[in-house]
Amino acid sequence: MKLRHKGDATKIEAQMAPMIDIVFQLLIFFMLTLKILAPEGDFNINMPIGQAQADDESDMQLDIKVRLLASPDGTLKQVALGTRQLGNDERVFDRLNSEIITIVGRPGAGENEVEVEIDADYGLHYGNVIQAISACTGKIDPITKKPVRYVEKIKFAKPRPPGDAQ
Amino acid sequence: MKIKTSKPSLVDPDMTPMIDIVFQLIAFFMIVTNFEQTQADERVKLPEDELAQPPIAPREQELYINVGFERDKDGNIIDPTPYVFSKEGAKTAQAYASELQMEARVAKTKKIEPSTITVVIRADSETPTGIVQELMKLAMDNGFSTFALKAKAKALDQ
Repeated sequence: MKLRHKGDATKIEAQMAPMIDIVFQLLIFFMLTLKILAPEGDFNINMPIGQAQADDESDMQLDIKVRLLASPDGTLKQVALGTRQLGNDERVFDRLNSEIITIVGRPGAGENEVEVEIDADYGLHYGNVIQAISACTGKIDPITKKPVRYVEKIKFAKPRPPGDAQ
Repeated sequence: MKIKTSKPSLVDPDMTPMIDIVFQLIAFFMIVTNFEQTQADERVKLPEDELAQPPIAPREQELYINVGFERDKDGNIIDPTPYVFSKEGAKTAQAYASELQMEARVAKTKKIEPSTITVVIRADSETPTGIVQELMKLAMDNGFSTFALKAKAKALDQ
């Protein structure tokens, strides 16, 4: 299709200025509203909080209790799995993770039957609780670098009154 | 090279490459702008964890609770009391109970059961755990029963 004729070669210029104005305004808007945030993930919590389960269910389930003790300044003092003390160094959550794997068995096997109860001191920094929940729910597979989950049910024990560190 | 000399006209710069680049920049900013996380409060310094993965399917109903401390520009805690940051300002956990009550009432008027709403707790890593538990209990007293604890996704060591 021939659009231009040599005889009336008048080039119609589109008005670019208004479009560029708007485009720059949009660009500035998006640049200013941009917030670079790290992606956030979450852990689901089983509720009701601190309530005893129905008897028929509790017979079927194997409960794991993780006790987190806090120092007066809110840092981690001790991690206990049932009656076993696991310490409070930086590798404690790795040890907790290994212990949970031992109890649960092979990752992925019977993951829905185990429930972990987190019982933390009132003043304990929340970051420690997240670490404990993470250690209980799963781990990163060292080969595939993908998360492997073996406990889906996490619940909290009743909140302890402030200052109570028994 | 032949230069036009017959009709001296205004030199029009070629705008096409610039417009191309500008449109690409707009497309980039539009994609990376995340309007979903507008409920997140910047004062809350979330704990980091490798296993914290974003939910696979987006939730239908969510109620965000931001718990943290008042911090200065450098991120140091000014006031040691943890507050719940809501639209109505910073409140203590106990004072936030009225707002939870209102949220539950609003949900019921919209014919939404509070139990179907996921309460997403974004708590500062230094918040006392008891405060988070208290907030959960207050939420449960108002009929909420599904909870999710937020953590920043930590990059995996390669």
